[in-house]
Amino acid sequence: MNAIRTRLQRFFSRQTYVISLILLIVVVAINYSFQNNLFELRIINNNLRTMMPLMILAVGQAIVVIGGGVDLSVGTMVSMINTLLVTWITPESTGGDIALAFALACGIGILGGALNGFSVAFLRLQPIVTTYATSFIFSGVALLVLPRPGGSLPRDLVTFYRSTPLDIPLAFYVIGILILFWILLRSTRYAQYLFAIGSSSDAAYSTGVPVRMVRVSTYVWSGLFAALAAVALTLSTGSGQANIGDDMTLNSVVAVVLGGIALRGGGGNVIGEVIGVIILGVIRNIIFFAEVPTWSQTLVNALVILAALAAPGVIRLFRRIIKR
Amino acid sequence: MALTLSARSLVKRYGGVIALRDGSLDIQSGEVVALVGANGSGKSTLSKIITGAVVPNGGQLLLDGTPIQFPNPQAARKRGIAVVYQELSLIPDMTIAENIWLAHEPLRFGLAVHRGALRDRTKALLSLFAGTISPDLTPDTPVTALPPDERQVVEILKAISSDPRLIILDEATASLDTNQVNRLFELVKTWKAAGKAVIIITHRMEEIFRVADRATVLRSGESVGTVTLADTDEKTIVSMMIEGAITPEQIRIPTTALESHVRLDVKRLSGGRLHDVSFALHDGELLGLGGLQGQGQVDLLLALFGLIPHSGEMILNGKPVHFRHAADAMKQQVAYVPGDRGSEGLLLIRSILENMQLPSWSKYGAVHNRKAARKDALTSAADLQMVYASLDDPVSSLSGGNAQKVVIGKWLLRQPKLLLLGDPTKGVDVGAKGEFYALLRQLTEAGTAILFYSSDDSELLGLCSRVLVFHEGSIRAELSGENLTRANLVAASMGTAHERH
Amino acid sequence: MKARLSLTPPLIALILAVLLFFAGGLINPDFVNPAQATNIVRLAAFLGIIAAGQTLVIISGGEGIDLSVGAVVTMGAILTFRLTGGDNNLIWLGLLASCAAGIVIGVINGLGVALLRIPPLVMTLGMTGVVQGTILVLTQGEMIGATPSLMREWIANPLVLGIPGVIFIWAIVGIGMWILLERTTYGKRLFAIGVNRTVARFSGVRVQWIVVLTYMLSGLLAGFGGFILLGFSQTVFLQLGNNYLFPSIAAVVVGGTLLSGGKGSYWGTMSGALVLTLIDSLLRAAGLEQAYQLIVFGVILLLLIVVYGRQRSLRQ
Repeated sequence: MNAIRTRLQRFFSRQTYVISLILLIVVVAINYSFQNNLFELRIINNNLRTMMPLMILAVGQAIVVIGGGVDLSVGTMVSMINTLLVTWITPESTGGDIALAFALACGIGILGGALNGFSVAFLRLQPIVTTYATSFIFSGVALLVLPRPGGSLPRDLVTFYRSTPLDIPLAFYVIGILILFWILLRSTRYAQYLFAIGSSSDAAYSTGVPVRMVRVSTYVWSGLFAALAAVALTLSTGSGQANIGDDMTLNSVVAVVLGGIALRGGGGNVIGEVIGVIILGVIRNIIFFAEVPTWSQTLVNALVILAALAAPGVIRLFRRIIKR
Repeated sequence: MALTLSARSLVKRYGGVIALRDGSLDIQSGEVVALVGANGSGKSTLSKIITGAVVPNGGQLLLDGTPIQFPNPQAARKRGIAVVYQELSLIPDMTIAENIWLAHEPLRFGLAVHRGALRDRTKALLSLFAGTISPDLTPDTPVTALPPDERQVVEILKAISSDPRLIILDEATASLDTNQVNRLFELVKTWKAAGKAVIIITHRMEEIFRVADRATVLRSGESVGTVTLADTDEKTIVSMMIEGAITPEQIRIPTTALESHVRLDVKRLSGGRLHDVSFALHDGELLGLGGLQGQGQVDLLLALFGLIPHSGEMILNGKPVHFRHAADAMKQQVAYVPGDRGSEGLLLIRSILENMQLPSWSKYGAVHNRKAARKDALTSAADLQMVYASLDDPVSSLSGGNAQKVVIGKWLLRQPKLLLLGDPTKGVDVGAKGEFYALLRQLTEAGTAILFYSSDDSELLGLCSRVLVFHEGSIRAELSGENLTRANLVAASMGTAHERH
Repeated sequence: MKARLSLTPPLIALILAVLLFFAGGLINPDFVNPAQATNIVRLAAFLGIIAAGQTLVIISGGEGIDLSVGAVVTMGAILTFRLTGGDNNLIWLGLLASCAAGIVIGVINGLGVALLRIPPLVMTLGMTGVVQGTILVLTQGEMIGATPSLMREWIANPLVLGIPGVIFIWAIVGIGMWILLERTTYGKRLFAIGVNRTVARFSGVRVQWIVVLTYMLSGLLAGFGGFILLGFSQTVFLQLGNNYLFPSIAAVVVGGTLLSGGKGSYWGTMSGALVLTLIDSLLRAAGLEQAYQLIVFGVILLLLIVVYGRQRSLRQ
């Protein structure tokens, strides 16, 4: 009996996304009952395509959260890089121009992340307020670059984003790459450091883990993934707007929580995060197809988000009450 | 690789307090040396200097004949010195294997962690304790799922995973069960045979005789001698630990235990580190809590003040009570003065006035009668002979002794009937200590019942007529009258005396 | 009691406000006159009232911050707008409803933070969405209603000696906040939990209770702020309160309240509100657009955190 319990405990502590997976199956089933063509290739492609930017963005958020921090600047960073991309890329841009623009975008994301990471790790500032402060800077730059919504991309680029190479939606390739990235990253010594500082930075420090450098790196990852998410979002919308990604900050945190990654740090993985994003997207689908009145959709969505944020605390509270 | 290490007259000061005056120790490969001393003798400071956790202010550390100073624990580890902490240094969310090999994982292609090797090597290490730990333990078991004893085993394995030349066991047996201790000592013998050096620090006297070759005894920050254990006995070591210490007579303030009203009756109290503690405390009595640090004395005070969950009976002034929060205890005129002023007793950046009145503000009306609050605080400060410029100064501007008076003053303002003191004179200078002792006498004469935990044995001997000696969460001995001697106190704190009457 | 004049952060902020005011004269000579001064104070009053609750939350420590104040302000204004429908006899109803809504939202925030241990920033950000959603459900996107004429007269227009009512209201809030922080048991306990929750608990303070109470007060004051703001804006829209969210935090921090909690004052926040209103007016007078304002705000906040918000080092 005891052995089974410890085995179960072990299973759940490693596979943090199992509960998320169950939740995913439930919400997909509900969605299917409202929308019978849910599993058609075209619908899958459409659905996943709209989730892709958040999926990419939340990888960075997941890494930061696992490392014991949080990055509240990711959404505005997406906005900033989106405005830059649409000013750099015009319908006439060549492949070379576009590649250069994407590379520059990544560079800027990394720089922005480094600013966050430096402030948190070396100036020892609280991650939450620090990234909140830098989010204003990114927001301001976005507005400076693109005061009015606009911009347009080469046709081919937009078509590519909607494509289904080998009859498989592009999003599947992206999901595959993200998971492969995670598996590779997870196999390195760096990943051990990442989980160690998130779980107990004091113990990690006393064991010889370079805590500050690892902490900086988490925010750099986050900046890089924000840049990649901005690329995806730009391809998805085909235009730019100075606040286009702002809402994605909270959503990225929620997706991470839904994916079984504890906000206190030290646990979780990117597979869970991907599941979390899909759950969020499917819930939005349900709200739409369940014919929730238009004016109630924001509220229902917000309540779901709040419930997700509150769930770990509610579970802990119940456990404490039962123990008494 | 052989090793010789010698500490020569190491000195460590914290501010004005000298933690280590003359720390000396010699050890070489194939030896097991025990480091022995009472509270505050400096043994943990000495071991921390050797492991690089603390940088000394003077003296010399010689490793293999050359002077060396470790800037951090990693530097010491690189030179083959590993320590097993009693305060755990494990990452809770990681597995046993990940914890043991953190920061020196076996790699494949110089990049990827070699999970197979990680597992195999961890299995090999775990097999050292096979039979004494749960058979379900695998390298992939998360550390959070482990009970304290198995965590301690992992901690030991983590220390030896780097194949060190010198292993320091700092109270490593405290949370192990008998079988595990036996296994550890068998291992110590094999390490010794393999040419490793081992330093052992323990609060159990019998363990010293079981594994160590020699014992170096520390007293008041000085190494007072090294004995070969084969030629000596417990009594000799105890007398070395206490010889020439400050006599209790120097601080003796006779407080007579009045056989009066029972203020507090505790029956089978458990919680935190406490296990089945029972005793009674009378009005006007100053009851001492002794023993080595961390044996449950503080947990007793916390439980009595409602700060940690506990079970058992607590009868206060004839009525059974169960406090869930400090506010409950305060309503029954109980007060608790914590030992760590900075993190538990004082709001450092707030004013003296606010600190003194924090527990009492509600009695000054919905909109405070500031004058009355100030007047009461002034009176109390004067009673305590506190030295300060203004009540509005931040409490961080006070000296240690005066800051201590604020911590005590804030509770005296509430005129408690039961006062719980948690090592209140730590870091307080001699003059202020004297005033504090006089205050304790005043309070007991006025009928206050006081439970007094002190890590300074001289205080207990000089002030109390009865002392409960704690060892591993329970009362090991109750000393009073003729039995209340330093030798008995030290012996009981090392767990060698078994009487309780 | 000896009054000692030392350069405390609130005083620095006040001096800075005066300097900024006269600096405005360099940009535009028309900037410096009594009417303009009154107008600045009037604008600062709205921010100051809205930032009152934020002051309490930040003093409470534990990374305390209330990002829902903007949405609550909007909620308060819309409720008053709708429930009174411009009827002066129903002003009391608007006041009651906006304050009650604020209390409910604040209590939920407080319970989430204290009981469920959700980081305050995340909790109040999540609550912002819920409040905005509730507003949409209530209004169905239509802003029906009107502002009672008396509210304009009592709040925005000159009331006595050419001074608008809101300045008197601000003064009353100021006195109330001073009494709350300096002369009540709640205030003393609030500072205590902000400095060190262990010390507070060891001294008999019920920490979680104080936290819930604090977020409740923050909601109440934001709801009241929305009611007051309506008297000035006269009309409502979904983003009405959002523009006050960041300044409410910045005003508190500029006024010398520690972001880490445990130290601060409302009169510091009042000075901070003046400084921020002046910076805003100056940036406008200098023709700087919103983009620069955002960047300037971000940099100011970052600098403030560097000065006030450092955490302990790993090596001890």
